[in-house]
Amino acid sequence: MQDIGRRSRRFDALDKARGTEQFATDIYPPDMLWAGALRAGVPHGIIRRIETARAEKVEGVVAVLTRKDVPGTNRQGFVYWDMPVLCGTRVRHAGDAVALVLAESRRALAEALRAIEMEIEPLPVVDTLDAALADDAPNIHGLDTGNVLKAATIAKGDAEAGLAECDVVVEETFYTPAQEHAFIETENGVARIDDDGTLHMTVSTQAPFRDRFEIGRALGLDPSRIHVTGPYLGGGFGGKDGATVQCLLALAAMHAKGRPVKMWWNREESMLAGYKRHAARMRFTAGAKRDGTLHAVRCELDYDTGAYAHLGVEIMALGMEHSGGPYRLPHLEAKGRCVYTNNPVAGAFRGFGVAQVSFAFEGMMDRLAHALGMDPLKFRLRNAITRGERNCAGVTMTTSTGMEECLLRLRDHPHWKSREAWRADAPPFTRRAVGVAAVFNGMGYGRGLADYAVAKVRLTGSGRIRVYNGVSDMGQGNASTFVQMAGEILCQPESVMELVQPDTDRTHPSGSAAAGRTTYTYGKALIKACETLRDKLFNRAALMLFVDDGSGFAMIPGGVRHLPTGRDLPLAALAAMMHPDDRISMAEHLMPVTPEPVRGGEAFTLGFPHLLFPYAAHLARIEVDELTGRVAVLDYVAFTDGGRVLNPQNFEQQVHGSVAQGLGYALTEDVLTEAGVLRSTDLCTYVIPTSLDLPDIESHAVETIEHTGPFGMKGIGEVGLNGPLPAVASALYSAGLPMTRAPFTFGRVLAALEDDQPGTGSEAAS
Amino acid sequence: MPLFLPTDLSETLALLADHPEARIMAGGTDLLVRLRAAGRTPGTLVCLERVAELGRIEALETATGPAVRIGAAATITDLLRSDTVRQRLPLLHRAASAFAAPTVRNAATIGGNICTASPAADTLPALHVMNASVELASRRGARILPMPHFVTGPGRTALEPDEVLTGVVVPVPRIFTIHHFEKVGQRQAMAIAVVSLTAMLAVEDGRIRDARLAWGSVGPTIVRCPEAEAILRGSRLTLTALTEAARAARRAVAPISDVRATADYRRQVAGNLLLRLADLPGRKPGS
Repeated sequence: MQDIGRRSRRFDALDKARGTEQFATDIYPPDMLWAGALRAGVPHGIIRRIETARAEKVEGVVAVLTRKDVPGTNRQGFVYWDMPVLCGTRVRHAGDAVALVLAESRRALAEALRAIEMEIEPLPVVDTLDAALADDAPNIHGLDTGNVLKAATIAKGDAEAGLAECDVVVEETFYTPAQEHAFIETENGVARIDDDGTLHMTVSTQAPFRDRFEIGRALGLDPSRIHVTGPYLGGGFGGKDGATVQCLLALAAMHAKGRPVKMWWNREESMLAGYKRHAARMRFTAGAKRDGTLHAVRCELDYDTGAYAHLGVEIMALGMEHSGGPYRLPHLEAKGRCVYTNNPVAGAFRGFGVAQVSFAFEGMMDRLAHALGMDPLKFRLRNAITRGERNCAGVTMTTSTGMEECLLRLRDHPHWKSREAWRADAPPFTRRAVGVAAVFNGMGYGRGLADYAVAKVRLTGSGRIRVYNGVSDMGQGNASTFVQMAGEILCQPESVMELVQPDTDRTHPSGSAAAGRTTYTYGKALIKACETLRDKLFNRAALMLFVDDGSGFAMIPGGVRHLPTGRDLPLAALAAMMHPDDRISMAEHLMPVTPEPVRGGEAFTLGFPHLLFPYAAHLARIEVDELTGRVAVLDYVAFTDGGRVLNPQNFEQQVHGSVAQGLGYALTEDVLTEAGVLRSTDLCTYVIPTSLDLPDIESHAVETIEHTGPFGMKGIGEVGLNGPLPAVASALYSAGLPMTRAPFTFGRVLAALEDDQPGTGSEAAS
Repeated sequence: MPLFLPTDLSETLALLADHPEARIMAGGTDLLVRLRAAGRTPGTLVCLERVAELGRIEALETATGPAVRIGAAATITDLLRSDTVRQRLPLLHRAASAFAAPTVRNAATIGGNICTASPAADTLPALHVMNASVELASRRGARILPMPHFVTGPGRTALEPDEVLTGVVVPVPRIFTIHHFEKVGQRQAMAIAVVSLTAMLAVEDGRIRDARLAWGSVGPTIVRCPEAEAILRGSRLTLTALTEAARAARRAVAPISDVRATADYRRQVAGNLLLRLADLPGRKPGS
């Protein structure tokens, strides 16, 4: 039975284990062409010449397209439309596409791409925030505001006056790197235009419904003639929220004379042209009262959005909204700037702007606790936000707020209680430390963009239950949870259930798989749809059984039972008498937003503020090797408030996955560029953790009830990523190694060790 | 693209004599990656995977004492599974266990690791400190070269176009009591060494009778440091002696900066790694 709360196997587990699940990459239609893009290779420049004649003559080449072949606006994006499908005059990062080739084979494609002659006159490269903000910086997009795409302020109380009232005030500047999503399945899809002009596309995407509008605008196509299918993804993490291959692939299909076209970026192209997490610089000033009350925070956040906006402004907005931490903070002033550079394009990534500031606000908590002579966990606990209080952005927490409980549970964990003894027992050349972090992550789109979903469920003609999922499942398991929800309400086992994955012709617009909203919003709609279907089945059964009405019926596996008379009716029998349209139920849901006025944020059109937050308290036990600077995370514990847990297995997998990705962010992952040119070009030079680098991760659910959520749940897809970086930093700080720049590579840690012990360090050094 | 799959050594040598342009492929874990990156289709390839005689690992007695002969096409997994290697050449076994990850170890060979001649090659420092020699064969005859004479620079070896590396002969270390290998990589598997130290020490009554040290990834080839070895000889395993040897080591290395680490880091850590050998309470050196 697919009951809520059960550790039931994922609905897709067997298909994936057997390799029968079809990802977009698995699709090779007959008579297919390959499409591929020529990348600029130069981070900033003016295109002087593109000569395609030689490439067109390569055997097997069907078409070589450039800017002049692009109809429509030639602009991709979904809040800001600033990214060309094919660059015509100017390139703004090394991964910009300047030509598109269609060929019969990959070999012909590669040869033709090499045969295109391209002359780009280089412009000065804007490769850092400082370079972008300099008075004489080259203006990348010709904005009146220079390279500042958006500057904004949010405020609560009076930060200036608040800081003046503090007994201790600390200042620090923190830096976080660009991070690569590094999903297993790189960006890809297949597309075809059929005889009636409809564009059919199967693509690895987090936003199949929105993709139609992005493609339509960029290429001058009617979105209603674009049909997108979104199978399971081999990972997304935000990197497939917004067009990757979509517009190029659609353009290719427009020149393929009805033949299907496949585009599949290899790892190097994914590294070069795919989206990254924004690198950030965060200047913080924070103050507290002598009694341990956090009182005021002022910060300036600069996000490097690379060559194009993507969701950079919204990402910055979330960073600002969370910059005071999950604490009852009376005074906050957060200033943000989202800045264009010639670096790789930054976009959505699990922890959307919050992963960056979590390092900064938790770093400030460690420094304040130290300045106050207070235990860092006690200091966090003392200030943890609770229900009924206004959070740091000024929104009253009217819903589940488990921050304090997460910290209390962590305080009682053996790893925390034994920290002094464990630290003292360090082997030679080793420092041991235990760090903690308290984090949160706004759920849903926030105000200004309706966070909605439309669910559909059907009793099939043969008496099975089919759920029409409208939100992509990139591995997080929402589709499986939807089956579980329908199974719960309709009392049906897995064997009776069917699942349709997102398809703009068959399922209904339900927003993107993003923002920890996926299960929450669609789940609420689905519950209503399933309840409607159930009531309908009872009423139709009443007709068949000649009873007065649908009351007195209960769902049983495979059918319904009339309890007063004990008579059963199989679902197949019900299905046979119902009109096909009658066997469908649909319902929709909108995530609530706060009606409360907040100060600042007028510059954002959407995405601020949020009402619902999952919370987490993390602990990392680390060892630092004094000879090499290597940081080993030996134990990891996560307490997570995601409301009620619908499936403990899926919950743990989300926590484990996000902690693993967060530890990579903390320790090794860094998209390195030099003058805008990528240096970490593949998974050999971009270092993600392996199983040997990760500790066992203990996951504990702190089950509040989120009354607005489906069965009391909140989304935890993102919050877990925000913890590891500050938790490891907190451990390092307590070991005498204050780190302000992530990741904590062994080179940086060795330098910190030398700073901490100049005597020993230089003796070992010279 | 001509591809040859000889089944014995004489056939292999004949192919190499007839096709001097051919490249030899054993596991292909390096070669195929580089060919793909270059975007070229390979020219002639002579593959060694079916030459069974090149895959053997055997203990043998030589004029100078016991040795182990390892066929060039023995995979890293073969080394790990070999009792002979584990018992007699523990350093090589340790290096093999730090090599990439199981799937790569199943394909990659010791001959390939030697001929690729990367300064970061995991098995090379162990072969250097154990004074291993390589066996080369061509239709013109066979020859034997000590490791340092064979690997002449990054990616450069003394292999002639018609020659194939058939095996490596490793004398079994006898007097050494400490076998120490440490690889510093950016992660615990699938990592290219940023610095590595391989050390063999013969400690008798608390004094170091003999020391052999080799560093990976801190110079164009494997770096030895006779000065540091001399400092250790005759002294005890104290932090003072090791610190002095570490200074000598930092002078001896010639590292570069790359995407993985700076030259300064490599130089510093090349010395630091020696301190791990200190005889300190709570830790057994070489373990």
